[in-house]
Amino acid sequence: MVTQLQAPPVSSPAGSASALPAGPRPRRRVTRRTWPFIIPSIVLICVFFTVPFLLNLPFAFSSWTGYSSDIAFVGLSNFELLASRGILWTSTAVTVVYAVICMLVQNVVSLSLAFALRDTTWGNTFFRSLFFLPVLISPLAGGYIWRAILDPEGPLNAAIGVVVPGFSFAWLGDPVWALFSVAFVDAWKWCGIATLVYIAGINSVPRELLEAAEIDGAPPWTRFWKVTFPLLAPAFTFNVVTTLIGALTAYDVVASMTQGGPGDSTSTLNFAVVQQFGYSFFGVASSLNLFVTLLVVVVAIPLVSWLRRREISA
Amino acid sequence: MSSRLARRTGIAGGIRYLLLALFAVPWVLVPLWLLVVNSFKTERAAADLTLGLPEEWRLLENYAAVFADGNYLTGLRNSLLVAIPTIAAVLILGAMAAWAYARSRSMTLQSLYYLSALSILLPPAVIPTIFVLTTLGIDGSLAGYALMMIGTKMGLFVFLATGFVKGIPMEIEESAAIDGASRVRTFFQILLPLLRPVMFVGAVLLIIAVWNDLFFAQLLLRGPDNATLPVALFSFASASMNIIRWNEVFAHVVLSSLPLVIVYIIAQRQVLAGLTEGGVKG
Repeated sequence: MVTQLQAPPVSSPAGSASALPAGPRPRRRVTRRTWPFIIPSIVLICVFFTVPFLLNLPFAFSSWTGYSSDIAFVGLSNFELLASRGILWTSTAVTVVYAVICMLVQNVVSLSLAFALRDTTWGNTFFRSLFFLPVLISPLAGGYIWRAILDPEGPLNAAIGVVVPGFSFAWLGDPVWALFSVAFVDAWKWCGIATLVYIAGINSVPRELLEAAEIDGAPPWTRFWKVTFPLLAPAFTFNVVTTLIGALTAYDVVASMTQGGPGDSTSTLNFAVVQQFGYSFFGVASSLNLFVTLLVVVVAIPLVSWLRRREISA
Repeated sequence: MSSRLARRTGIAGGIRYLLLALFAVPWVLVPLWLLVVNSFKTERAAADLTLGLPEEWRLLENYAAVFADGNYLTGLRNSLLVAIPTIAAVLILGAMAAWAYARSRSMTLQSLYYLSALSILLPPAVIPTIFVLTTLGIDGSLAGYALMMIGTKMGLFVFLATGFVKGIPMEIEESAAIDGASRVRTFFQILLPLLRPVMFVGAVLLIIAVWNDLFFAQLLLRGPDNATLPVALFSFASASMNIIRWNEVFAHVVLSSLPLVIVYIIAQRQVLAGLTEGGVKG
């Protein structure tokens, strides 16, 4: 007897668990014992992510350096050293401000772009590809390009000089503007992806809901705030969280644009990690790394759960 | 009604394209033009960072310098040596795990699933990774770096793919099992082809992350022979401490970005469609 394979009805495969048949418990499954399939992935995740992650705690309190193979427990002295040099609080503050600027710029720009490009037309496809291009170059490369644009002799000052004769400003030489510029470039680099995620979110809003609101006489602005925006919540959560975590771990753009300067005004925590690693102070670098982790746990994880609770589905 | 709508969108569409074009000029076109045009100039002309065409073309010299001093070919080889196995391993091993997680109701497996998903949120601890790699005898090498990349990027793909597998009806696998297919065969012949869309999205996200990574590469790789393209670019640009040779640095940026841009131009439609049609769902 030939058992015919049914054509797979996988029209919307990205669905949720609720796509599984509800009601009575499924009959005894014929495809048992799939658990061995997780072994390779879980081993790799444990050895190269989980174990180092757990080891970071003891290392943060150790005197491990590149100069000696002894790893001794030294209590809080790494943190005392970092605090007394002003590195700890400066880097933490810089990182938080950086992440907030980056998150705001990126989400405002990509949400606007997503609304402009939501329909799949020929012209929109062209603009989508165009705005995706910065995603492909490395953050490092983006950093060099913008460092050139923001140079006192560069195109930005030249363009402003057309309107304001003799205008000259060292964007990366001013502590406040340097931090803003670097965070802006990080946002610029990742906007293309966030835009696509928002477009996916906007297009998953059922047309009937918007039409119903229009027939009820809701003006476009109300339709946006009352219908589209609430249903956009999953895309919003995804983008806010990925941007924030990405920006809390920022390194490359800083390395290529400002090297942490002027002063320490753009020295993010991860930039400080690489610096301390460069001095072969592995224990101190671990302490800073622990701070990055703490920031993500304190800032990003409550935010995720809060945003997720606000999500509703169409 | 429909004609009014069409007329409205026609005019609005024109204004919209105009605004988009105006925005695209400073956002994308000027940066890319600046990059490319200055990579053709002499060192002194490129130092002015203007948008004008070069008066004196130095195309061949600048790009030859990237090959000669910029460690470009070694970097390209190393980037490929890291990216290809990393992406292949994450996609295949991650898909295997996703299948098991999606089809299981066991508490143990659910906890392991959450353990995997945790690696999406928490940043990797890079210094202890060096300790682990030293213990395994592969620190500073491309193999160690690639393994670390696999271990830290796996979670995201497992998460994406598990959601995807849950949307695939179980009857397909059951029929295969009734027909006597082994589990391995069911996975490779039935499931893997069905997972193609999510694997494509995973591959796009992975290549962007892995190809451009500098932070982990700088900490985990040792020596110019193990440098990936971003590491090669960074040392090339940092070589002259105070004054950047913009013409050559930009030539290096162009050449380092070129592989991904070429792949993107070829697969552009699928990349955009894959990422917009719900592949990336938190």
